Amino acid sequence: MSKTAKVTVDGRSVDVPDNSNALEACRAAGVEVPHFCYHPGLSIVGQCRMCMVEIEGMPKIAASCTVPIRDGMVIKTDTEKAHAARNSTMEFLLINHPLDCPICDQAGECKLQDNAVTGGLPVSRTSEARRQYPGYERTDIGKHVIADMTRCIQCTRCIRFCEEITETGELSFIERGGHTIVWTHEGRALDNELSGCAADVCPVGALTTKEFRFRKRAWWLDKTRSVCTGCEVGCNIAVEHKDRVVHRFIPRVNADVNDFWICDFGRFRSEELNEQELFRPVVRGKETSWGDAQDAIKAAVDAAQKDVLVLGSAKLSTETNWLAAQLFGKHLGANVEFVVDRGDRHRVKNKKADGNVAGWLEGYEAAPNSRGAEAAGVTRGGDTGALAAVLTGTLLPKVIIVLDAAFSAKAEDPAVIAALRKAGTLIVCSRRRSALAAAADVLLPVGGVHNDEGTFVNVQGRVQRFDCAYIPPPIVRTQLEILTHLGKKWGLFDTRWTARSVFEEMRATVPGYAGLDWDSPALVGSAPSASPAAPHDVLEAPAKGGLGLPALQEVGS
Amino acid sequence: MSGGPNLPSAQIAGNPPVGEHGALSCGKALKFSPEARKRVDHLLTRYPTKQAALLPTLWEAQREWGWISREAVDHVAEVLELAPAFVWGVVTFYTMYNRAPVGKHLIQFCTSISCHLADAEGVYAECRKRLGDLKPGETSKDGKFTVIEVECLAQCDKAPAVMVNDDDYAVITKDNLDSFLGGLK
Amino acid sequence: MSKTPVPKGFTPVHSARFGKKGSQKLAGYEADGGYASWKKVAKGWKSGDFTPAKIIDMVKASGLRGRGGAGFPTGLKWTFVPPKEKRGGKPVYLLCNADESEPGTFKDRLIMEEDPHQLLEGMLIASAALDVKHAYIYIRGEMVRCAEVLNEAVAEAYAAGYLGKDILGSGLDIDLTVHRGAGAYICGEETALIESLEGKRGHPRIKPPFPAVSGVWDCPTVVNNVETLAAVKFILDNGPEWFKGMGRNEKNTGPKLYCVSGHVEKPGVYEAPMGIKFMDLLALCGGMKGGKKLKAVIPGGASAAILTAAEVADLPMDFDGVAAAKSMLGSAAIMVMDETTDIPKAVTNISKFFAHESCGQCTPCREGTPWLNKMLKRLIKGEGKRDDLDLLLQISNQMGNGMTICVFSDAAIAPVISGITKFRDEFEAYLSKAKAPDFALAAPAEVTPKVADRVAEGIHG
Ligand SMILES: Cc1cc2nc3c(=O)[nH]c(=O)nc-3n(C[C@H](O)[C@H](O)[C@H](O)COP(=O)(O)O)c2cc1C
Ligand code: SF4
Ligand code: SF4
Ligand code: FES
Repeated sequence: MSKTAKVTVDGRSVDVPDNSNALEACRAAGVEVPHFCYHPGLSIVGQCRMCMVEIEGMPKIAASCTVPIRDGMVIKTDTEKAHAARNSTMEFLLINHPLDCPICDQAGECKLQDNAVTGGLPVSRTSEARRQYPGYERTDIGKHVIADMTRCIQCTRCIRFCEEITETGELSFIERGGHTIVWTHEGRALDNELSGCAADVCPVGALTTKEFRFRKRAWWLDKTRSVCTGCEVGCNIAVEHKDRVVHRFIPRVNADVNDFWICDFGRFRSEELNEQELFRPVVRGKETSWGDAQDAIKAAVDAAQKDVLVLGSAKLSTETNWLAAQLFGKHLGANVEFVVDRGDRHRVKNKKADGNVAGWLEGYEAAPNSRGAEAAGVTRGGDTGALAAVLTGTLLPKVIIVLDAAFSAKAEDPAVIAALRKAGTLIVCSRRRSALAAAADVLLPVGGVHNDEGTFVNVQGRVQRFDCAYIPPPIVRTQLEILTHLGKKWGLFDTRWTARSVFEEMRATVPGYAGLDWDSPALVGSAPSASPAAPHDVLEAPAKGGLGLPALQEVGS
Repeated sequence: MSGGPNLPSAQIAGNPPVGEHGALSCGKALKFSPEARKRVDHLLTRYPTKQAALLPTLWEAQREWGWISREAVDHVAEVLELAPAFVWGVVTFYTMYNRAPVGKHLIQFCTSISCHLADAEGVYAECRKRLGDLKPGETSKDGKFTVIEVECLAQCDKAPAVMVNDDDYAVITKDNLDSFLGGLK
Repeated sequence: MSKTPVPKGFTPVHSARFGKKGSQKLAGYEADGGYASWKKVAKGWKSGDFTPAKIIDMVKASGLRGRGGAGFPTGLKWTFVPPKEKRGGKPVYLLCNADESEPGTFKDRLIMEEDPHQLLEGMLIASAALDVKHAYIYIRGEMVRCAEVLNEAVAEAYAAGYLGKDILGSGLDIDLTVHRGAGAYICGEETALIESLEGKRGHPRIKPPFPAVSGVWDCPTVVNNVETLAAVKFILDNGPEWFKGMGRNEKNTGPKLYCVSGHVEKPGVYEAPMGIKFMDLLALCGGMKGGKKLKAVIPGGASAAILTAAEVADLPMDFDGVAAAKSMLGSAAIMVMDETTDIPKAVTNISKFFAHESCGQCTPCREGTPWLNKMLKRLIKGEGKRDDLDLLLQISNQMGNGMTICVFSDAAIAPVISGITKFRDEFEAYLSKAKAPDFALAAPAEVTPKVADRVAEGIHG
């Protein structure tokens, strides 16, 4: 652990790591010095000259981000000279900035706008024409990102992101002096695994994502803490939504997992959450009530006398998998198993992925929670598992229950569906219409991950909590509700149970969950930031997260 | 460093349509000649990193092709293992890498303060007029002359100072302009 | 044999061989006693007669101050390089700053063109003193012929064994490479020069760390001007006392090359003892051109504040002398302006230079330099407004004094502030001539040219 130093910020004394700079020391003291080029995840360049402060003993005004702190340093942010300096920088930034906030997507989460509103001069003193950039406006510069150089404030965050984080270097300063812009080399796109983050770090509307452009004013968005389900890395995200529509995912800072970033694959899956297609339980082709559907299930399972295969899912929370394991496995003696697809590699950069060295955190499994499912007591199926036997025809259970119709890409394979269909009763929980859903005897409409809460265990063995953005539509139930209601039929569960109470119940027995606290920062992660361009600091060492469960990876494989 | 095929850039295949941006294309992939490549390889022995050889390598590219095209950037980036955008960023930071073909004689008028005191701007304008009303940076129809304005050439005692390609010329005034131009064949 | 006259009783030093036939060649240089000091150092290296400490002490004792602009004591700068034990195995680099782009400056070019070996010898001695294994000369891109002369000299020095491995049996290994820039004034700033040498855009770095601790390729680095390094050779030739004997006082010592341009009879590089009075220098140049009256002087390159005729009347031209007049000696680029000079136009011209040369990373400089230039251009076009002069001063004051990474921005405002405060009546005259505002059309927006138009927009200039 690095040593600390004592500094005084506007009369308040704080201890900060001695490798901090003055801007970070101010943040630690709760004083936010306005800034543009400083980003906690990127190198320091001191270019925007916004973070000006006075430092005792220094004759000149200083850019706080460029000043390494010393023990005993006295920093003053609230002096006349400091305000004048920051106002100057604001004036210089605004003389050429277009006044197009009403049509700019960044409005509401723009650092320039924020700093202009909280400080800055009330009048404009320039009468010169504003600079224009023909050919450099509203241009596609990559698969996801649109650039508009009239809005750029030359902070180089995006350039540093592509150099230091993705190491792909697609962006560079072009030209110099007042003509400086950010651009790609002609014919080469901004195309990397994390390209959406380049738009995140942009403090203004110069880089925006195509997917979010003109979708929603930022200030309307509600933000819910969640975890990406794209792969086993489990990047922390905020699901940003309004009026029961999800508009985007924005990374949440987690120094131990995804730092400030998420990959494009994960980020642009947000639209999937809006695809609820099933709204009523269906029994043998007929829409019906939950009561009838549950009765049908109970009757079939009881009649099958343990000859039941329940497919859990690595896409469902540990809590739901645990309920399934308890009810069907432990109590009813059925086979409870999950399978997980090995998909494409997805990865995210982390400053200390490799001990204390920056590196990539990689995920190959196309689901967020195989470790949690396994820890909950669901068997990891493989080539020799029950599902495999069903597919080869060597096993023919009387009842098959698919808790998650999207458990695997296999669920779309007609041969697989046909094999599952051979069961006497096929029960499927699904959000969407699909061939598998259509084949089911009992079809239960279920909400998405954003309609529920629970925990996942990621590739590092960290337990991470995700929250409910909004409850499912009327009649549609969450996975947890479906299971607690079913469990009640056998007198085992209580329908008042929540993910939290299940978590507390299962903690004692599920490996790795012992001693965890539902509300602990380690589980919850950081709060969503007000703007993707203004992520939280990770200055203070975050509480040691979750658990050391490395062995889980090996179990069952 | 003069020369290069003196095509108006609009005629070069593959160039971005009007209103677009970026490095111009010369229409074909480029590769250093073996001699140039040898010089670049020698350059690499003089620096601890490949990147450090970028400026001299771009000079080699300009010597080889007359100007720095999109394809030249691509090739230099490949040779030095750099991102093409980075190379293009470097090219555009410095003023002496030509980003379009120039005439046989690139006439560079200093108009900084000492030469300004000797009416360099006037001579610069007059020179363009005499070559057929050339706009700043325009190349004459015969492809022989491109006239541009540059900052201080460190010849302030010889104001107005002019550089033609790599050669320095002293005290070019409206009076000796014709003989100066006549000397450029 | 200097090409220009020198003050009575002064023997030229740097310029002694300028203009001599074959002055660039090694043979001629050796015939004139060249490389004698280097041979002495090399010979005394193994025996311990010459040590880094001894050389550094000589340079310190001479009072040599950097000739690149800031006038920082050279010996002191050299002591900032961490001792070997603290360098963690990293090499030390010596970079010779030959970017000479400050408008009005043309002295380094002369040293390199006329007597390149004096620079090489100085660099070799400095390299030995600083434990440098590879030294670079960063020469501005425009000086193509000059770079050719240097390269020939370097080849000669290698062939003669003055450069290379185990030089003259001393055990010293020193390499030297000439590196050409490509047209960017800012690369004269030492950290921008370092970035540029590394193959990047010439963006000055934030300090700390200072180059002496972490410079090029993260290694300890010393950057010195051409004239500074050449002076080291003469200090070893003649001793620090000799060097100190020249000049006005203890703090302003040695011979100095002055670049005089503008409205004088014979512009050129003049060598004189540090601290020569401006009027004496003017006399060496044959006085004012056409006998006109002196109006103003820029004493140290375009970055220096303009001085009035009265201010230079009795001014000693050295670091502290010019600083006392609230300007700077800078690169000793003295631009003389006679009574016919239009100061607002001259200031506008200088502001164009700075707008064009800003590297563009700091907001105040990137946005401020073009703003000043646009306002001044408007003013001299007769479209000035009543508040413009005050606004110009206010904006200028917002750009300097720590507001930016490097002092380019401070340099950019010096001519504007001094011009307007000292010659305000001339600016006011433009205002009173100003046309009534034109309501019909707003000024056309400034446009960042497309690449196809780049050359046409005069981006080279
Ligand atoms: C904008 C700017 C331009 C400069 N240009 C030059 C230059 O062309 N040549 C030079 O020797 N020093 C130049 N300098 C000064 C260098 O930063 C540095 O101080 C100098 O090279 C140190 O050498 P010295 O100690 O021998 O003077 C410049 C400084 C600034 C801020
Ligand atoms: S595009 Fe955005 S992030 Fe990139 S330099 Fe401009 S303002 Fe900064
Ligand atoms: S002050 Fe100007 S030249 Fe210096 S680093 Fe900043 S922008 Fe570049
Ligand atoms: S945040 Fe400090 S200079 Fe930009």
